[in-house]
Amino acid sequence: MTPLQLFCQQLANGLTLGAIYALIALGYTMIYGVIQLINFAHGELFMVGAYVALTLVLLSSAGPLPSGIPWWMTLLVCGLGSMAAAGMLGAAIERFAYRPIRHAPRLNALITAIGMSFFLQNALMLLYGATDRHFPNPIPLTRWEVGGVTVTLMQLVVWAASGLLMVGLQLLVMSTKLGMAMRATAQDLKACALLGIPVDRIIATTFVIGSAFAAMGGMLFGLHYGTINFHDGYLMGLKAFTAAVLGGIGNIPGAMVGGLVLGLLEGLGAGYLSSQWKNVFAFLILVVLLLFKPRGLLGERVADRA
Amino acid sequence: MASGHRARVLIRAACLVWLAGCGKPEPVVKIGFAAPLTGDQAPQGQDMLRGAQLAIEHANSQGPILPGIRLELVALDDQRNPTQAVAVAKRLVADPDVVAVVGHLNSSCTMPASAIYHQARLLQITPVSSNPQISRQGFDTFYRTCATDDLQGPAAALFIVKELSAGRVFVLDDMTTYGRGLANELIKKLSALRVEVIGHEGITQGDKDFVPLLTKIKSLRPDLVYFAGMFPEGALLIKQRAEVGLAGYFMGGDGLFDAALIQLATPRAAEGVYLTTIGSDIHQIPTAREFVKAFETRFGSIGAYSAYTYEATSIAVWAVRQAGTKDRSAVLAAIKRLKDYPGLFGLQGFDAKGDSLIRDIGLFTVKAGKFVFLKAASWD
Repeated sequence: MTPLQLFCQQLANGLTLGAIYALIALGYTMIYGVIQLINFAHGELFMVGAYVALTLVLLSSAGPLPSGIPWWMTLLVCGLGSMAAAGMLGAAIERFAYRPIRHAPRLNALITAIGMSFFLQNALMLLYGATDRHFPNPIPLTRWEVGGVTVTLMQLVVWAASGLLMVGLQLLVMSTKLGMAMRATAQDLKACALLGIPVDRIIATTFVIGSAFAAMGGMLFGLHYGTINFHDGYLMGLKAFTAAVLGGIGNIPGAMVGGLVLGLLEGLGAGYLSSQWKNVFAFLILVVLLLFKPRGLLGERVADRA
Repeated sequence: MASGHRARVLIRAACLVWLAGCGKPEPVVKIGFAAPLTGDQAPQGQDMLRGAQLAIEHANSQGPILPGIRLELVALDDQRNPTQAVAVAKRLVADPDVVAVVGHLNSSCTMPASAIYHQARLLQITPVSSNPQISRQGFDTFYRTCATDDLQGPAAALFIVKELSAGRVFVLDDMTTYGRGLANELIKKLSALRVEVIGHEGITQGDKDFVPLLTKIKSLRPDLVYFAGMFPEGALLIKQRAEVGLAGYFMGGDGLFDAALIQLATPRAAEGVYLTTIGSDIHQIPTAREFVKAFETRFGSIGAYSAYTYEATSIAVWAVRQAGTKDRSAVLAAIKRLKDYPGLFGLQGFDAKGDSLIRDIGLFTVKAGKFVFLKAASWD
């Protein structure tokens, strides 16, 4: 393996993790965009998505479905199922935990979010047990060598799923009426309400989309690493939050860029410096960047946020 | 006047009898137990707990531990977290009924907790924490029923050199007291045997993504990768090693010895992995046959650390019986007299540091999704 091939391999590795970070970071940034709340329960919605996907995968491999169905069909069903479940849960959390205190001081909502995070984490522990769960992977172990760089089918699935979702989100936000309403709500909630935009419904929709994206991230995480644990959402949530801040919180393209950059930094940090300094390296870059660009990489485009 | 006084005395005496009968609970003596019972290492912690429970049941079936006193196990969860382990140790120390502690699993938990037990003059027997530094602190309250990593590391090094003939070794550890300690013992012996250690790196417990690290290791072309750590991270390393296409041997220590390792890593990726254990295979030892049978009929399959915990708990019970009192110092004095105790692994005893005199290291490999015992020997 030449140094260049090694570098490209590490880029591919970093992009895989980065794509998952980006999916989770989008939810943080969208929710912050509309109601300026850092939803600390977001990491747990990611885990809910992973566990629902696990349940569906286990059902599909041992359940009533015929065994002849192709792996991508299984994944599609599991992905949509877990996105729907997490989306509904996200909307319910917004309706019953955050909406009643939307006009209270911002700290109240923040504490509520932390409490919600604890609640969901412990609920997952009670439902699925405290130990690591094996996540069976229906994707075949196919790999290709492109110029000395190995790419697996699993990595392609991660890139394709996250790429499609991100393009879809960009189209939704930029060129549909709902997206326009979301951008307007982000700019001025009160003025929107005065103009007859159903802000409650728009905010709920934002929670549904953000939670569904996190759920997809959770499923890909489970498939890629093969084990999940109820407390995995904590660190992944923290990393994705970092990615959102890195890209400029409240900015949708910023979350995508932030996620990919954080994944690449971790991958290259572990590959070239030392794996024991991996996390230190990633967070050090964040600190240095925020010193010089306090609004994050793309943070200055405040008008774009949604 | 006199009769009135007598009546008052009688009433007082009656009150005292009533108080003694109802206000005071049944006298009990407790053996503390501490290990991770939740979290990623819970399978091993639960296996330990079952071993301890079985030992207590056997002890109770042999009659009361002290005349009129019931024996109880208090199991606490240290979450494999040193801070939590200290909190657990303080709780056990504060309970006057606790006369001995069996625990913990991780050396990083046993180490700080041992100082607290020492201060309280409370007997501690760790079933499986194998870091040699713990017994070098000079605590006369500390004992252990397994072999240590200054035996396990060199044994692995000898196997790597003499039987696998691996010339280039990459060493990973999980940066815990156990992992770093074992890795250092291995490297010391490898260097003495003039084997090239081409790299030594740490990973973080709880981390999931080791692909960049394994990609780097692959580019260095080692003959063998050694991981000193526990099975949750070990399983991910083994699984991702297959995905990255890193060839060569993979070996680890007793922390990997759990059925969940093969399941989480997938049997295909785990095929051919070697590991050492801090004692021989429990199924091969004639003196343990009865215990294995009892355990398997009661709980199903036996865990890696169940036997050590049974042994540690039984020895704690033995010490209390010998002492014949709930006094902690008397229990400590009693265990010093232990010699040629007929335990599961043969005649058990302790050296001056409190380490087990049974110094066997076992060797296993993974074949068709199962651990297969290769051999056990005292390598020193």
